Amino acid sequence: MAYEEVKVKKPLSLILLPILSVLTFFVVWELMVQLDVVPKTMLAAPTQVGSLFVTKLSDPNPDGATIFIHAWVSAQEAFIGYLLALGIGLPLGLFMGWFGVVRGIARPLFELIRPIPPIAWIPLTIFWFGIGLGGKVFIIWLGGVVPCVINAFVGVRMTNPTLIQMARTYGASDWQIFKTLCVPSALPMVFGALQIALACCWTNLVGAELLAADQGLGYLITMGRRLALPDLVVLGMVSVGLAGAAIGVLIDYVERRLLAGIRR
Amino acid sequence: MADIQETIQDLGRQGSSIADEIQQTVRDKKPLTIRRIVTNEYLLHVLSMTAFLLVWHQAAVSGLFAGALATPWQVVERFQGLMTDTLAGLTIWGHIWASTQRIFIGFVLASALAIPLGLFMALNPYVDAIVKPVFDIFKPMPPIAWISISILWFGIGEPSKIFIIVIGTFVPCLLNSYNGMRLIEPELYDVVKVLGGGRWNEIIQVSFPASFPAIFAGLQISLSMAWTCVLAAELVASRSGLGFIIVQGMKISDTSLVIGGMIIIAIVAWLSSLLIAGLEKYLCPWKRDIAGL
Amino acid sequence: MTPKIECRNITKFFIQKGKQRVHVLEDISLEVRDKEFLVILGPGQSGKSTLLRIIAGLETPNEGSIKLDGQQIAGPGPDRGLVFQSYMLFGWKTVMGNVELGPMLNGVDKSERRRIAQRYIDLVGLNGFEKHYPHQLSGGMKQRVGIARAYANNPKVMLLDEPFGQLDAQTRYFMEKETVRIWESEKRTVLFVTNNIDEAIYLGDRIVTLKGKLPGRMHEVYDVELPRPREHTDMKFLQLRQQITDASELVL
Repeated sequence: MAYEEVKVKKPLSLILLPILSVLTFFVVWELMVQLDVVPKTMLAAPTQVGSLFVTKLSDPNPDGATIFIHAWVSAQEAFIGYLLALGIGLPLGLFMGWFGVVRGIARPLFELIRPIPPIAWIPLTIFWFGIGLGGKVFIIWLGGVVPCVINAFVGVRMTNPTLIQMARTYGASDWQIFKTLCVPSALPMVFGALQIALACCWTNLVGAELLAADQGLGYLITMGRRLALPDLVVLGMVSVGLAGAAIGVLIDYVERRLLAGIRR
Repeated sequence: MADIQETIQDLGRQGSSIADEIQQTVRDKKPLTIRRIVTNEYLLHVLSMTAFLLVWHQAAVSGLFAGALATPWQVVERFQGLMTDTLAGLTIWGHIWASTQRIFIGFVLASALAIPLGLFMALNPYVDAIVKPVFDIFKPMPPIAWISISILWFGIGEPSKIFIIVIGTFVPCLLNSYNGMRLIEPELYDVVKVLGGGRWNEIIQVSFPASFPAIFAGLQISLSMAWTCVLAAELVASRSGLGFIIVQGMKISDTSLVIGGMIIIAIVAWLSSLLIAGLEKYLCPWKRDIAGL
Repeated sequence: MTPKIECRNITKFFIQKGKQRVHVLEDISLEVRDKEFLVILGPGQSGKSTLLRIIAGLETPNEGSIKLDGQQIAGPGPDRGLVFQSYMLFGWKTVMGNVELGPMLNGVDKSERRRIAQRYIDLVGLNGFEKHYPHQLSGGMKQRVGIARAYANNPKVMLLDEPFGQLDAQTRYFMEKETVRIWESEKRTVLFVTNNIDEAIYLGDRIVTLKGKLPGRMHEVYDVELPRPREHTDMKFLQLRQQITDASELVL
């Protein structure tokens, strides 16, 4: 199509408003604490959280570890759980989509486990694994495996039936159809699962560390509450949010790179 | 997101394609062989559930989990008892009601706030420019991370639990109504324009009804989020609710109470999602079912 | 006689992806007579749909003017009815709800608009389907609803944008016959956009062809002086078809 490049300007107000709105948010937050609108036992100002962050870079007190150790422990748990969820959930979903026998066996168990929020497994995992790495990884795995199975399953089921018929007329075996037709056509859904599963893992990480932990960002938040230190709580929340956003961006990038070769 | 929607639409079209009908007749003609009986899905469902219960029972009896596993029968007996006996002053029905009540209040509050806000953001670029960046700051923060601060703010009573549920359900509600409205085919608005309707009619006649299915999808996500939140809140501090049951089971090392609580949670959560699905069917009679999902 | 619609030197650009300026229409001048069935014929990517959207008032031209009954067009209005290529029915409304939309938006009271809608539902041959939802209808039936919806608003001008582009050949032929029947039973000015030469000759009083490739420019105007109902195998039909094909092949 013939076209020429031109520049179109966004209205200035639409560029400024987002910046203003974020600024206002932080200023109001700061002022609310500084002017004692909200008692200091309930909320910490952004500047306090910032200075605590700097202290926590090197100081393990009062919760027993520096912020890096906490973040590292959390990231470790999250990634092991996430990778296990992908490694088990995706193949299971793909097989469930295509092979009736796998679907028949796995479906009722899956449907039984699916509505139980992973958080509800915490007491059992404490019985089984103690409060070490194993239990938390299990909770995170449970959170991530469900969307993996669902997306891979739906992806295979959405394979164009005409293509399957075509393959059958050429004499392809079930396994060949699965391998060369169903799996590739499920890929976009599978990549979608990467993001969703990560978000679920991250949510459940905080849940897992809520009760059964002695390190990690979730534990940092809990400790902040027990010690009645709102700046520690807010620091923990901000760290969890930032780390989650950073990992999200990373996965988004990986997904885009992988999908670039597949789409269209 | 758009791509998935496209694929789903493609799927809808394929549902009525000629190829499908051929596949159907071929399937019907298959003779009844032993292989077919063995690979029948429903039979396999029964087999797998039976095997699951047997393995569970065997594992519990043999002490594979260091005694920290009740047999299926123990769980059933325990809960039969709780139907009439009380735990912390409430029967099992009372605990179910406590959790459902919290979810209901939080859910209604969050959707009443988030859905209109999402629609507003999609309709007005200025509202969008103001709210979206602040919303994006909060979005990546898991709702459970709010539990501690909400206890600092509201204590350990009902308000703090409802606050967590509102936080957790707010994000998916808002995102879905926002995206649902932004994905509306712009030509649908042209229909109203050409027929002589104004901006208000575009919103009433097109924006609201067309974003309904997306809003309901958001409600479903919100609901499962709400269950996660209410359990987390009850695990941390509560005197009632299903989360209290399992945490109580943990404290007194009663695994039948823990497992039974989990099963009840599964059932109630499943029923509540059926309720939303039913509501959607009732309110959106035009929505086509997509087979196989 | 003053023309019903008068387009003068219309030129249109689009901005796509925020920075690419596409030249869609170049210097289109066109007159449509009252109660005339005018077909705009052009290949894909010739800007013909854009021309129709400009006349409907949904797009504003960068240069040039359009007058309806001597009045400058400013925005869309109920005096022009538009039928969309992809139907654009409201999936959440029944056939009746879709057809009565126009009168409803213009403040016609309920019993009256029901009466109007019923009349046009009957006219397009859909009675018995009033309570159906669009997804329960076939493509041809959906477009009948689209036509009834446009008619129910009682527009002076009907604008049809490749209305049968998504239909199979048989349904399409049948719908063309129906279009002529409906037009003859309630004559109005019709602008019909298509890329199908047979459809153009079968339907049109006059045919305006556009040159292929953007920007779209006016090419030729043909008068179709065949008696109705027309036959696709009529000698004169085929001669005109040959004439248009030959002329457009030079362009492509």
